[in-house]
Amino acid sequence: MTSFLFVVPPLVGHTNPLLGVAGELARRGHRVAWAGYGDQIRSLAGEDAEVYETQMPDAELRRPPKLTGPAAFRFLWEDFFAPLAGLMAPGVEAAVQEYGPDVVVADQHAVAGALVAERHGIPYVTSVTTSAELTDPLSSMPKVEAWLRGIFASLREQFGDSRHTGDPRFSPHGIIAFTGRALLGDAPLPWDGVHLVGPAIAPRAPRCDFPYGELDPERRKVLVTLGTANLDAGERFLKEAVAALEELRGTVQGIVVDPGGLLGEERKLPGPGLLLREFVPQLELLPHLDAVVCHGGHNTVCESLWHGVPLVLAPIRDDQPIVSGQVVDAGAGVRVRFNRVDAARLAAAVSSVLDPASGHRAAAEEIGRSFREAGGARAAADHLGRIAARPANYQAAG
Amino acid sequence: MTTDATGVAPAQPQNGAQARTDPGAVLADIAGMLRELLEEYGLDEAEIGRETTFHDDLELESIDLVSLSGSLREHYGDRVNFAEFVADLELDEIIALTVGQLVDFVVESLRATEAG
Repeated sequence: MTSFLFVVPPLVGHTNPLLGVAGELARRGHRVAWAGYGDQIRSLAGEDAEVYETQMPDAELRRPPKLTGPAAFRFLWEDFFAPLAGLMAPGVEAAVQEYGPDVVVADQHAVAGALVAERHGIPYVTSVTTSAELTDPLSSMPKVEAWLRGIFASLREQFGDSRHTGDPRFSPHGIIAFTGRALLGDAPLPWDGVHLVGPAIAPRAPRCDFPYGELDPERRKVLVTLGTANLDAGERFLKEAVAALEELRGTVQGIVVDPGGLLGEERKLPGPGLLLREFVPQLELLPHLDAVVCHGGHNTVCESLWHGVPLVLAPIRDDQPIVSGQVVDAGAGVRVRFNRVDAARLAAAVSSVLDPASGHRAAAEEIGRSFREAGGARAAADHLGRIAARPANYQAAG
Repeated sequence: MTTDATGVAPAQPQNGAQARTDPGAVLADIAGMLRELLEEYGLDEAEIGRETTFHDDLELESIDLVSLSGSLREHYGDRVNFAEFVADLELDEIIALTVGQLVDFVVESLRATEAG
């Protein structure tokens, strides 16, 4: 039996792919504990999950909704991930001492996991939940890369082992990436030891209901969602999306997710036939769908493609523009501009991905097949087992 | 395959050696490239000047910078190295980048090749 400690940031999209891996490891007789935000981990992994609580940022910490591009990137590292590492490090340290893991599985952006493991000489594996950073997008901006490395060096001095100099986002012991070549393309990756296992789509208990009886068998179904991390940025976009779906309502039934209540009440919407929901059970709903309009978050993208559903992508920030570009390059989607697209353009984009002649559906189905073949949670568990069994891997990795 | 940025026609190709080099003309040329990039959204000429920022004002994304790099190459050939320009920027400079800074870089590059 091997003891694994999963270190995750307080972000659903970073935790979800690891749920299936934790389940698979447990089935194989291993022990898994988590370090992070207890309430969120338990709500996702189950009440009986073993959790070591770490400090978390103030719930008030929000990025200004309009912050995008490089300014959002600066905020993300300077004001969120770096302070997060500082907050989480003591809790991760305590977890390591009490629980004594054989292997730490550290989310790429929960840097405390990598650095504390490094300090204790425990092998750690990076969990990568987006395809964006695997292509090294900063390589054309050396001064930005140096800035980020400066942040890592300062964190390493506080919680890590300053004899090491590697990038804590990419462990020398191994990297498990929940994505695939279908998105990354064929170019060699700039990091060694990357295991592409495809998305880990674990059946998760639906956390909300859905009126399946109201789905119209005569029309194509199109879901509009901006994911779990962009609640406050989407009002204009959602309104244009509702108008676009109204325009197409003869042949298209729209399902719009509005967890922030940005659209007001459904009865105030123009026209019938559109389902407006605070939440949807996305995984259960996907087999019913013909297209998804989303922000280009890696999990929503991969879950849609897994089900062979083509995409209209309106990236907001962070990895979303890169992920969206990868989907477009793979032929499985159309990209629009989040801040500028209007109803007419959005309707045209939706019509385009719904048109069989455009090939988007076929490309999405092909990607879905490749994702299934990549092995997901089982392949991830295989790699983790192998890495745990490797003798003296820490020294070997230098 | 449909995308929002790759269907844009490149700026009117010119012989790189004969491109206009005075700052006003370079600004007009670059504004033209940016307008073509953004034309589907109805941005008109008055909205692009030296003080216009790439990110806050034009909301350009990295994919647009790739397209712009292509337009610059079409227009100026090897005389202007956009990749070198970007590589020399700090994060804060990238965030605050203005059209005027790119114009100055282009003018400088053109003059350097003239002098050489």
